[in-house]
Amino acid sequence: MRSLTTRASVALVLGGILTLGAFLGAFFWAGVPDFGFVRTAEQADSVRYTGPFEQPIDEARYLANYAGYTIEIEAGGETVRGELVSADKDAVELTTDTGSVTIDAADFEAARVFGSEYGRPDWGQKIFYFHVPVAEISFIVFAFAAFYAVRFLMTRDRENDTKARVSMEVTLVFVVLTMLTGILWTKAAWGVWWDWEPRLTTYFILTLLVVAYFVLRNSVEDEERRAVYAAVFSILAFIDVPISFFITRLIPSNHPVIESGGLEGPMLVSFILGQVGMIALGYAIYQLRMGEVQLYDRIEQAKALLER
Amino acid sequence: MNEGQTQPLALEIRDLTRAFGVRKALDGIDIELPKGAFLSIFGPNGAGKTTLVKVLTTLLNPTSGSAHVLGRDVVVDAVELRTHIGLISHSPLLYPDLTAEENLLFFADMYGVEKPHVRVSELLEAVELDHRKLDLTRNFSRGMLQRLSIARALLHRPEVLFLDEPYSGLDPHAMDILDGLIAQIRGDHTFVMISHDLDKGLELCSHALILARGRVVLYEPREAIDDAAFRQTYRSTVGMGVS
Amino acid sequence: MASTSGRQLKAMLRKDIVMELRTKEMIMSMGLYSLLTMVVYFVALSQAGSTFDPRDIAAGLLWLAFIFTSMLGLNRSLVHEKDQGCLEALLLSPVDRPVIFFAKAGGNLIFLLAVEALTLPVFGFLFLQGTQLDWSSIALLPLILIAGSTGMAGVGTLLATMSVNTSGKDFVLAMLFIPLMYPLLLGAVTATGGAIVGGVQGVEVFWTGMAWVLGYDVIMLLASYGLYEFIVGA
Repeated sequence: MRSLTTRASVALVLGGILTLGAFLGAFFWAGVPDFGFVRTAEQADSVRYTGPFEQPIDEARYLANYAGYTIEIEAGGETVRGELVSADKDAVELTTDTGSVTIDAADFEAARVFGSEYGRPDWGQKIFYFHVPVAEISFIVFAFAAFYAVRFLMTRDRENDTKARVSMEVTLVFVVLTMLTGILWTKAAWGVWWDWEPRLTTYFILTLLVVAYFVLRNSVEDEERRAVYAAVFSILAFIDVPISFFITRLIPSNHPVIESGGLEGPMLVSFILGQVGMIALGYAIYQLRMGEVQLYDRIEQAKALLER
Repeated sequence: MNEGQTQPLALEIRDLTRAFGVRKALDGIDIELPKGAFLSIFGPNGAGKTTLVKVLTTLLNPTSGSAHVLGRDVVVDAVELRTHIGLISHSPLLYPDLTAEENLLFFADMYGVEKPHVRVSELLEAVELDHRKLDLTRNFSRGMLQRLSIARALLHRPEVLFLDEPYSGLDPHAMDILDGLIAQIRGDHTFVMISHDLDKGLELCSHALILARGRVVLYEPREAIDDAAFRQTYRSTVGMGVS
Repeated sequence: MASTSGRQLKAMLRKDIVMELRTKEMIMSMGLYSLLTMVVYFVALSQAGSTFDPRDIAAGLLWLAFIFTSMLGLNRSLVHEKDQGCLEALLLSPVDRPVIFFAKAGGNLIFLLAVEALTLPVFGFLFLQGTQLDWSSIALLPLILIAGSTGMAGVGTLLATMSVNTSGKDFVLAMLFIPLMYPLLLGAVTATGGAIVGGVQGVEVFWTGMAWVLGYDVIMLLASYGLYEFIVGA
């Protein structure tokens, strides 16, 4: 048990340092004058959004956030490129080489945003360094939980159930973190706190599934039955989540799609630091919680033995 | 191979344990019961009596150890075993919105009973419910439900009958019918009964078992039991309720 | 063995149908619940004015009604079994656990489809008056109803078998059911929307949604079928 705590502490410290390093790097080292990952000068971030029946849908509020960026608008069969001045649900105004151009929302078809050439620190985007790792870890740990659930059903070994439960607890932590950072990013990038946009919605469903897991556990009294039910549900949930993600391809999305990669230099380093740091933190949280649970179990065991 | 007919033992339980983590519902039970015997199981609440019966009736799996009923393993041969055992519980296990006859026909289908209508009529007469066969069981009294439940348990001619406190809540008439039925089929069947009624249990049994905290406290054939000492032992376990 | 399973399956289905026809409990409560939902819809939309096209939201409203009605039905059907300990009696009999699953899910599916078949025309009568409907694509609706309801009945039966043994019952069922139904709902609403709107594009959308729903059905039903015996053995 001593080695468990030591491992956990080491992981915690390491994770903390790395994540901190990632933050510092992201905010002070990388970033200016470049935007970093999603929008570099060469890459485009597509914000085209069409509904299920190919009708253009008002996305002015998305565009409004990109005021000052270079933007390419497809309208009425033509393409106009210029710097975005303003956008609302009636019209979009651009400054092109030839002067000011106003495009009617009714003619609007699609838009592409390019990285700014005069450089602008994009604070909202910094959240990215934190958001992506947390999101990734949440899926990984969720997979672990499902794995232990399967092991439990095969062996009926209480330890496997404990591991599954602790994994789900860690998943819950990371899911909440992802939702929070995601909401912050939504606000920074699109100007709204929430949008019923497919990927956000699907992640919200994942949150509900994780919460449902604990609701289920808390409502069953018998220990073994509780473990079996929880295992079955987490397996079902694990199968359901990928289906959910793929099914949202039915609806085209506004979520930044990394169309072509391209992290360089300081940004890449910060990003990798963040990833590794998060993994270490996740591991640390898991181990610390496991240690706590095992201690509790040992006390229970001692109590039971004393009573016999 | 191991056919039920050549096996002299109705129950062969070896080191049966059912535990989850620290809690042991059953802790190393060893019992042998010959065919044609009547086993009464006594013990305080939480002793594991119901758990034991559930394991023997294939409703629950053991964690370790083994249990053979009529020579068949309760895990491996579960499906086949179920055609040879029956359970009478304190819940009637009947559908309230079906008639008595429909209930029995349903279970006859589930057990694959041949010539179901003949068999069902036979049993309805035996439990004296023939005149009520077209009534919904929702309208039956407790005693009638229990009688019908007995009919249900006997549909497939099981060799071993498990009874989980069958007399609880019965009126004297129903008790008599139950007594009568048990006496009738006593010869060819093995019985395993859980009872809180010490007198009744001792009266009927050929073997007696006291369980407490999942362990065997006492297991003796009837002749070897001294009533007074038995009652003493039983009373001493009552304090060993659920931990 | 197959013949026994068949006999058992038929017996279980027949039992559920006989019981239901006799009491009409589930159909009545589910049907009335559906109707009440329509009333609430009317109130909810009363402020929306008459400028919106009801065909756009019809799909969503329909499936909303179906989902909540199905939860009601699922709960009741499993409570029946648990009430008198009948599920235990079933488990005592030499029946393969998956057969129980198919029988219960099948019964639930039949009742759900019956309620849907009643709800659909009522909904159309109440909310789609005066809109132009493409009847050739409307005719596709039964397909998506069956496909979607199969998924709901299958996964729902598994979840209801669990939830009926908890202290939260309906709430726990809702908590487990709705998030898992999300992809199915999405596909079903898309397809239904396509069928209601009609036209070449609508039909194309219909088949896309239908494909997804069928995919969901296959995967989740397989999973539910495989996991069922762990639940009833607990």
